[in-house]
Amino acid sequence: MATKPAPPASPKNYKVKAPQPGTPMYGCEHLQRLFNQDQATTNTSIQHYKSILRTIFDASPVLSQTAKGIDGQAITTLTPTYLCLQCPLTLTEEDRTKHGAKKSHRFYVESRSGALYCQMCDDIVWDPTFEELRIRKMGTGTFSASRKRKHEEMFASSDPIRDNPSYITMNTTMSSCKANGLRGIYNAGATCYQNVILQCFLHNPILRNYYLSDGHPSSSCDVPHCLSCAMDDIFQSFYADESTNGYTAANILSGFWISEKKAFENLVTTKEQDAHEFFQFLAEELHERNGDGKRPEMGSEHTCNCIIHQTYYGKLQTTTTCQNCQGVTSQVQSFLDLSLPLENLAQRKKKGTAKPGPLTLQECLEEEYIKQDKCEYRCNNCGSMQQAKRQTSIRRLPNVLSIQLKRFEYKQGRNERAAKIDTPVQFPLQLNMLPYTSRARNHDVSQNYELQRSCTYDLLSVVVHVGEIDTGHYVSYCRVGDQWFVFNDHKVELAQKSDVLNSKAYLLFYCVRSLS
Amino acid sequence: MASENAPETGKCGVIVAPSDESPKERLAHAVLDDLLYNILHDLLLKVHRDEKIARANTAAIKVEKLAQNSVDGATDTKPDVEVETEAAVYKDGKVTLKGNPLKTTKEILCPRCHLPRLLYPTDGKGARKPDPGVIYCKRHPYIEKPGYDIYGQTWVAPGPGRGKKKQKPDPNDPNSPITADVSAKDRPPNVLSFPSATCSKCKRCILVTRLNNHMGACIGNSGRTASRAAAQKISNGSNVGSQNDNTPPGSQKGTPLPSSRAASPRKRDADDMDNDDGDEEDSSKPKKKVKVINKKVIIKTNKSPAGTPGSISVKSKDNKPKTSSGLSVEQKPDEPATADSVVAKPDPSTVQVAPKKTINPSSGTSKSASPAKKIKLGPAKPSLPPPTAAAAAAKKIKKEKDESESSGTLSSPLR
Repeated sequence: MATKPAPPASPKNYKVKAPQPGTPMYGCEHLQRLFNQDQATTNTSIQHYKSILRTIFDASPVLSQTAKGIDGQAITTLTPTYLCLQCPLTLTEEDRTKHGAKKSHRFYVESRSGALYCQMCDDIVWDPTFEELRIRKMGTGTFSASRKRKHEEMFASSDPIRDNPSYITMNTTMSSCKANGLRGIYNAGATCYQNVILQCFLHNPILRNYYLSDGHPSSSCDVPHCLSCAMDDIFQSFYADESTNGYTAANILSGFWISEKKAFENLVTTKEQDAHEFFQFLAEELHERNGDGKRPEMGSEHTCNCIIHQTYYGKLQTTTTCQNCQGVTSQVQSFLDLSLPLENLAQRKKKGTAKPGPLTLQECLEEEYIKQDKCEYRCNNCGSMQQAKRQTSIRRLPNVLSIQLKRFEYKQGRNERAAKIDTPVQFPLQLNMLPYTSRARNHDVSQNYELQRSCTYDLLSVVVHVGEIDTGHYVSYCRVGDQWFVFNDHKVELAQKSDVLNSKAYLLFYCVRSLS
Repeated sequence: MASENAPETGKCGVIVAPSDESPKERLAHAVLDDLLYNILHDLLLKVHRDEKIARANTAAIKVEKLAQNSVDGATDTKPDVEVETEAAVYKDGKVTLKGNPLKTTKEILCPRCHLPRLLYPTDGKGARKPDPGVIYCKRHPYIEKPGYDIYGQTWVAPGPGRGKKKQKPDPNDPNSPITADVSAKDRPPNVLSFPSATCSKCKRCILVTRLNNHMGACIGNSGRTASRAAAQKISNGSNVGSQNDNTPPGSQKGTPLPSSRAASPRKRDADDMDNDDGDEEDSSKPKKKVKVINKKVIIKTNKSPAGTPGSISVKSKDNKPKTSSGLSVEQKPDEPATADSVVAKPDPSTVQVAPKKTINPSSGTSKSASPAKKIKLGPAKPSLPPPTAAAAAAKKIKKEKDESESSGTLSSPLR
């Protein structure tokens, strides 16, 4: 019997996952018997399972959803079908029993999730060996953990933390079971705009892993009032202390007051502030502490390997096509977040010139990253001032996508003033970003399920502003596992998905699915 | 699926098309029904996965523990024994399951601390009493109870008149059953108060709700607010240490209603006085008094003293009314000549209008500057209003404190 998991791709002999303390070795007695028959059976079982997973996740769903009845008639259904692990048949739930009785094939794969059904248990079985394959296939689209991504140009180079889950376990096993990162942060006097952003950082899995794996140990940092050290402290007390009381972010606050960023001078005041500005401030400050030290220039193609860049930064590509000579120039910029204007779309909705129904996030994205706009442009080729078509798309998606819905608009006109746009924007729990990428522009990608999966994002945090433009309150919703929580300063409460989705979001944070 | 033999409904059997519908309609119903089935299926599968894996692991942990115990004292992580429970078998350092863990295993052990998990919240929605004889894993199910957080904690409402809190009411306020009057001792353990934190620059201990303001004044020397902040710092300087008292500087100056002041529990007054003995009182009061004295202030004490214009006009005299109002009969020796007439039209039930001339000699002699409260203390006893008014006024006192700051601003034009 094998004792350690091997990369299942190259060697011919597949191995069962090594026993872990605290987990049974097999999903059930019957699988144990299957795996213990001989190596050939183990090999074919795992091979079949992998090919079935490929059918389920990489091919058109029509394939796995079409069952062949006992009478030979093909039935396509929306509901789950069962793919026999021991022969190439796909069966409906009813026929599954008959097939089992006739052929004594006992294991089937459920077509919607790839889960294994054992007929003798009459239950879904979660076998460590099969589960590992399934989770990996669902997440990254490949079976092997070490294999390089196919679409590297769309993603940041894989960060080492992601590949090394032992970092997390190393740091969490020592801490109490009670320390789960769910604590409020006291409002130090109109600092709710900071609290919501801090909560979004604290529940960002990449940043969490970074800080908990000593990415920036505050003990060995000499910078006085370093904000990254303050972040390290806050992560430590959230994920290692047993306290359930609110946290007093005094270090963040003093670091923030002491920070000499001239660009953010207007932030340093005791008044209420914009959470988005604070997000940018904190991200850039942490980049400076952890990265190459260069100030990220707005709009430049600045790349850096710091944790903030690996987490939040993506790249935008702007293509300008000259109407005269059809010459194309493109420019690449890195971005920390996507800012989506709402005003035009909201007004169009009101007038009825846009698609009916509530405004959706996808419509806002479409407006910015699919549609073209016109601009005046001096063409380098023909040297004339021309009308040009300009199109922006996302060249590289970040691991955590932050989206700002521009609810606060500065209205120009006779009485210039800022106003808040209260239009609700519907946003999904799962967001497919593929249509807005440069890649989707050039190729037909609708059949590429693997690529689509790698562009699928799950909602991670939502920042909501309640109240008027000049005064109000921020709360944030964050997801931990599958449970949502609402963070209102020092108070943490459970939240329903419907609460989250019905909120008038101001900032949205989406995490790429393949990470989770 | 051909439309002519479209079924009545899908797999879920919940959304059924009426029998007289066209095949297309029936197909639509069937599709919707199937989708409903899929949603339920996916949800169930997720819960099933979590639960079954947790139970399977529990079975494994239990049998491993048993194996460990059977070889007594050995530190070997993989003892060479064969142990069997009703849910699992331990053999050759490997754990294999026996039967379906959903049936064989009833409890869930934490994979980290190996203690049983508490399966129901201890309070709020779906709460059950935990077995007191069992030590549970510290990770508890989250509590869902209005007014409380996920750990069943609630917070002491910010005290009345705590400065800035007014404009932005604390979200817990309406729900929180506990008022600030409850002292730390007799609070239940799940009621927390706002902590204090140390300012990284001046090392003083500041109540967290004031921290930002303090740091703005202490660290942030930014531009135009600097001078103001500095001024504020000076004037507040000696007060900073005693942030915990219930009376912010604003309300210390602002004067509550005459009737209420008199009626308020004396002990409380005494407390306030102690706090108020501070700096600004002494310096500011005498001046104000002199100015105010010549004004003819009409006190209309209505049934609702706190909100009436009358009350505001009283407050406008700032500190002075404290003395006169606190004790209706009391008088100030240093004022009689100038304070020609302070006329109050009291509610018939309350007795407190007193022309300033009826001087209380004892207090007057004490100090010419006469911190109002000190004066009040002595003569207060004889001049208490009738009990009914006292009770009513006592209720009002908090409200007034809240309003005192705004009324303080109103006072300036009157001067």
